[in-house]
Amino acid sequence: MVVLDAARKQALRRELSALLGKGSVLSEPEELLVYESDGLVLFRALADFVVFPTSTEQVAAVVKLANRESLPFVARGAGTGLSGGCLPAEGGLVISLMRMNRVLEVDYDNQIAVVEPGLVNLHLSWAVGPKGFYFAPDPSSQQACTVGGNIANNSGGPHTLKYGVTVNHVLGLEVVLPDGEIMWLGGRTREAQGYDMAGLFVGSEGTFGIATKIVVRILKQPQAVKTVLAVFDSIEQASKAVSAVIARGLIPAAMEMIDQLTIGAVEDAFGCGYPRDAAAALLIELDGLREGMEAQAERVMAACRDCGARDVRAARDEAERQLLWKGRKSAFGAYGHISPAYMVMDGVIPRTRLPEVLRRVNEIVASYGLRVGNVFHAGDGNLHPNILYDPRVPGEEARVVAAGGEILKVCADVGGSISGEHGIGLEKVDYMSLIFSEADLDYMGRLRDAFNPRNLCNPGKIFPSRKACGESGPAYRPHPIEEKGLAQRF
Amino acid sequence: MPASPLDALRGIVGPAHVLTGVDCGPYVVDGRTPEAVALPGSKDEVAAVLLAAAEAELPVTPWGGGTKMGIGNPPQRLGLVLALKRLNRLLEHEPGDLTATVEAGITLGALQRELGGRGQWISLDPAHADEATLGGILSSNAAGPRRHLYGSCRDLLIGVTVVTAAGALVKGGGKVVKNVAGYDLPKLFIGAFGTLGVVVEATVKLRPRPDADRLVVARFAQLKEAGAAARAVMGSDLLPSALDLVDGETLRALALGGPDGAALLIGVDGIPEQVAWQCAEVEHLLRPQGLADARVLDGDARDAAWRARGGLGRGAFAETAAVMKWVVLPAQVADVMEQGAAVAQRAGLIAALAAHAGVGVVEAVLAGARAGDATAIAGVLTEWRALVRAAGGQALVESAPLAVKERVPVWDDPGPALRIMQRIKSQFDPAGLLNPGRFVGGI
Repeated sequence: MVVLDAARKQALRRELSALLGKGSVLSEPEELLVYESDGLVLFRALADFVVFPTSTEQVAAVVKLANRESLPFVARGAGTGLSGGCLPAEGGLVISLMRMNRVLEVDYDNQIAVVEPGLVNLHLSWAVGPKGFYFAPDPSSQQACTVGGNIANNSGGPHTLKYGVTVNHVLGLEVVLPDGEIMWLGGRTREAQGYDMAGLFVGSEGTFGIATKIVVRILKQPQAVKTVLAVFDSIEQASKAVSAVIARGLIPAAMEMIDQLTIGAVEDAFGCGYPRDAAAALLIELDGLREGMEAQAERVMAACRDCGARDVRAARDEAERQLLWKGRKSAFGAYGHISPAYMVMDGVIPRTRLPEVLRRVNEIVASYGLRVGNVFHAGDGNLHPNILYDPRVPGEEARVVAAGGEILKVCADVGGSISGEHGIGLEKVDYMSLIFSEADLDYMGRLRDAFNPRNLCNPGKIFPSRKACGESGPAYRPHPIEEKGLAQRF
Repeated sequence: MPASPLDALRGIVGPAHVLTGVDCGPYVVDGRTPEAVALPGSKDEVAAVLLAAAEAELPVTPWGGGTKMGIGNPPQRLGLVLALKRLNRLLEHEPGDLTATVEAGITLGALQRELGGRGQWISLDPAHADEATLGGILSSNAAGPRRHLYGSCRDLLIGVTVVTAAGALVKGGGKVVKNVAGYDLPKLFIGAFGTLGVVVEATVKLRPRPDADRLVVARFAQLKEAGAAARAVMGSDLLPSALDLVDGETLRALALGGPDGAALLIGVDGIPEQVAWQCAEVEHLLRPQGLADARVLDGDARDAAWRARGGLGRGAFAETAAVMKWVVLPAQVADVMEQGAAVAQRAGLIAALAAHAGVGVVEAVLAGARAGDATAIAGVLTEWRALVRAAGGQALVESAPLAVKERVPVWDDPGPALRIMQRIKSQFDPAGLLNPGRFVGGI
């Protein structure tokens, strides 16, 4: 951490304003507060500056200045991340990319688009929608999160079951490397000679540099979509149905599970038509050719019935389908109506282990005297236990964190992973050793050094920093919105 | 090679699994015979072999089925070939998870047979399935026609275990389909040709085997028409699993007609209703595009056609002079094929050209009466590269005689990103012992 004295800060502010223009630099404490956390309010850190470049060259100039001054810097999109990944390293610069939000080019013949990192995910699908295309990665926060943020975390969403995560849709990136050099990794074609630099960059959580232009694949909208809701009297049955659908040779576009507590919250808040007394519901979506769609839906519904579903129905029309999805996508918001706060966890397990792992998750959370709501990408085995708590109760938050750690250990023990889409960020640095050996982590550390030898580019993320050993993180202070029980994470 | 490293190798893998002298014959690379071949039987043995090689400063070239060993700059020194064929087991397969973990030396054919017995497959279909190993397929980033719908190695590899140059076992990714913990090391090893570590295990995504699987051969009088037809398919509601554009010479090699005209090879698979609809729809869609005729192949005829298509590099001509891989934008495929054929013709050579039209990957096979003329062949490859680069793409020499490789660089220039690639290489193989000098930019 570099502490800037007032005179130096003033000088740097003037220099940054000269580089970026008036209104592009924040440095007053009350302005900086907005950028002290992402969607995970457990961690906060204040930057010295937040800057808003509008071009690759401006990003490069800022990064070069940061290097000259040995200041840490971090890129930030919409701030919807859930692992503290875009927090500054206490001081230094936050480089907000929200003003670089254009669709630069769409090439329908080759089914690619070139976009800036600050473009909101959903806006890309809106831009290409009129010509019958869309951008497949769809995190639940897609109305707010940016494509650049999706790149940083390789985030997914409900439709990754069939269409893969963000990296499966990225061909090339123009990046500003940690030393300020501008470079293309990959390109517009499907392959580039040498190591797969674009593939490697995606998911590096901002530690390899800053993407300033992104070449993505756009897909033709499916001819037909069919959405099925299956209702179960036990989580066990619903979990078994997930594997049963796959066992019948089907790969749905999405298979989402929502448990009883979450159904109650959603119905309280939005009234989406989920049965309140169900132990769990599965939302299964098929897409593709119109021909054969009915036959596939029948197969899915039969698999659910065989696993004990008490009710299985397909959405009759688009309005009903949208309502079912609204319930799923607004579940996180709905928790705000039944709990002052909650912590959304993110772990992955082999989907055949769902029944036992969900049981363990519920036992762990109960053992801490807390409640949990589960709403997650069941088809991918990507769990999101949401632990409800009250930050005003002393010690409750520490219990949440401890329960979360136990849940991650269960995920690791059954052969899973500690993050499916949120990233490691600051949140999970200490859990990396659950799934990676010293040798694995050393290898990854060397890779970071190849890109980021001075470690000024988003330091302290992903890996437990040896230097920081023994130091504790920034102290937790509840956010004002959280104190009012309105904390909303996507 | 001095006796002591050989003794060390024999001590690790057993004397029967170290080859020297004439026994190394099957492992020649660009005319060079390795000093020794080691065939370890486990990943721990691989680690011990690499450690011993590092101590002896012996360059190591990993070897799967050998089908892609023609790719790369000629080795300066071919030290130890590390053959992985004894690591050939399917380690884990849980059908409900649609994932499998395998040893790197298992052949694709063997793996598909094991998975097929349980109704699943890995959706990769590069050529020579009974020779190509999964480790080799990943290391050379090989893919076949069905990458059109199902993606390439990059979309299917979710976890990898490698042995580093220093003999350490390192794991990246995991065993679950969705995982963002840590850097995506699996991406780093795809297409790295063993220059950063030796892949010993891989975890991959699987798919259910489709109920029905057919191949529509849609023929056209002109390559240009077939190219336009490919774009029409891409712009339509059709969801073919493969969309290959082949020229007349390729059709002749596939025994499907030729050497005139061109065709689209359209794979359709899925549930029977979908397959039937797509076969009919292809005809409707392509009739206004100049479709001459369409044949639907199934069963053995389908398999034979796809096999011949994959084996084009070896099977198109009695004597193949060189094979090149071009990567361009999908919309440019037909144009570069047409120009490429004209270049070969002007030089008095013949080319068979076949493309994964939807992804923009073209296989260009060169042959003819002047096939022994290194200067003429090098001239064509150089012109081909220039026209591919002019179209914004890249060209790779997949195989050519040494005399041609001396005249034409195997790789295209990867551009400024080479700087980072070299840094990665020096981080992981500082002594430069893993397949040294054979990769892009002399890595």
